[in-house]
Amino acid sequence: MKISRTSLLFFLIPSLVLVIFFGIYPIVYNVFLSFKDVNLISYIRGTARSVGIANYSDILVNATFWKALTNTAVFTLVSIFLQMVVGFLLALLFDREFPLKGLFQALVMIPWVMPIMVSGSFFRWFLSDNGFLNNFLTALGWIKEPVMWITTERMAIYSLTTVNVWLGIPFNFILLYTGMQQIPGELYESAAIDGAKGWQRVLYITLPVLKPVIITTFVLGCILTFKVFDLVWIVTKGGPGGASHLLSTFSYSLAFDRFQFGKSTAVLVLMQIIVIVFIGFSNRMKWEER
Amino acid sequence: MKKQGGWKWSVLVALVVILIVSPLYFIAIGGFMSTEEIFYKPPYLFPPRPTLAYYREALSTLLPYIKNSFAISFGTLLLTLMVALPAAFVITKFQFLFKNSLSFLFAFVQMLPYTAIIIPLFLMFTKLKLIDSHIGVVLALSVFLAPFAIIILRSYMASVPSGLIEAALIDGASYFTIFTKVFLPLSAPGIASVSILVFLLAWGNFIVPLAFIKQETMRPISIGLYVFIGQYGVEWNKLMAGSMIYTIPPLVVALLAGKAIIAGLTAGALKE
Repeated sequence: MKISRTSLLFFLIPSLVLVIFFGIYPIVYNVFLSFKDVNLISYIRGTARSVGIANYSDILVNATFWKALTNTAVFTLVSIFLQMVVGFLLALLFDREFPLKGLFQALVMIPWVMPIMVSGSFFRWFLSDNGFLNNFLTALGWIKEPVMWITTERMAIYSLTTVNVWLGIPFNFILLYTGMQQIPGELYESAAIDGAKGWQRVLYITLPVLKPVIITTFVLGCILTFKVFDLVWIVTKGGPGGASHLLSTFSYSLAFDRFQFGKSTAVLVLMQIIVIVFIGFSNRMKWEER
Repeated sequence: MKKQGGWKWSVLVALVVILIVSPLYFIAIGGFMSTEEIFYKPPYLFPPRPTLAYYREALSTLLPYIKNSFAISFGTLLLTLMVALPAAFVITKFQFLFKNSLSFLFAFVQMLPYTAIIIPLFLMFTKLKLIDSHIGVVLALSVFLAPFAIIILRSYMASVPSGLIEAALIDGASYFTIFTKVFLPLSAPGIASVSILVFLLAWGNFIVPLAFIKQETMRPISIGLYVFIGQYGVEWNKLMAGSMIYTIPPLVVALLAGKAIIAGLTAGALKE
């Protein structure tokens, strides 16, 4: 159907104003700010000087930046891989009829429903040096000394990644499960006639037929995980000593702990570039899939 | 035919589900225990001397924050729907130039990292005097949630028959009348599902109020819980009681409307 230009604008203007002024303008503004020596005072007074590429060159020799970059890569890829494996196994578990199925399905959504401040605070306690996990493992006799899950530079990011796997279970489960429901039963029946059983069904039917859904889940998972900020901020605040920073928390602490908005926006611009490159890459991947 | 599981299968699934939801259980019982009991070795699996004192104290401390959370969440829901519904209407039902670019624009904004928008917005809002105000938080949340809502609404609204709209147009109805009298009522299930998701996401959001609200009396409960995380230590029992109180509204929504949440999430992700 066609619509006149005035009516079209009438319906679109609210969303365009919101998204362009408060979504697109800020990310363009980041590029502008990243070439300036901006802190809160120079910003308000309008006295921020232009510093050329100094913010970028400072960032690129900053060890915490490189740590945050590799952490973001590890955090994103390991989270996604494990989330998809767990989500897939859980979907297989639900892929049949059994009593109380609806209730269990609603309960699986709980990690998604719980506010992040709640789950983050819980894991801050659960993983602390004298927290539940250490006390529990000591009681079982599995460890002698408490393990410093979130208080050593070496371990913190891996502990956070594991927590993030738990957070991502509902999303991955629900997408893969919904995809599985669309696989026609005849496929399994004819495979059964050919003698396929158990894991062969999964390997030769479920996985190949599910491939488009798996790709979608992967792409969305990457975007969502790259965005993660709150979990790390609540549990470790990027510590100890900046060892568990992600790019998101690093940029935030530059801005709000040190008021170095110029450097912070330089990191943001690099993040924006990563997102844009990834979108281009994933569109091509989806396009080739067709 | 679907494979049958029976009760034995239910027990297996129950074990896995209990493992997944156990954090919520430990938060709930943590609110009934003293700090020493919370850190006791070996850890308690049930509160040994349950007391309601911490829940009561947490509730009275958090009440103003909860009010702020409701104000922010309903404000965000209202703005998001006002912005997203008309956009979703024309995008699903009409052809126009740049339609695909527009859809891409919405998808793109939704994919951006929060910090990439929050940090420059903080500077802009400082000049616009929108810091420490719920309006600023609602605006920033809606920037992320309106595109999210549009994407989900599109897949729901595609099922509203175009013939009805064409017939109304021939009868001389204005686009606005068609939108309010024909289109919105027929999209009601989709709107309900999206509203639930938007409310939950606004209720749970952490980074926007963290960045924009420094004034204690304006803070929602997501940041308000920091009152129990002091400079010299954490009041874990009140933090857990408060966390549980904070989780109750979304938990009730999830148990009552789990199907709508699941349908909304998959609609946004899978049916493009």
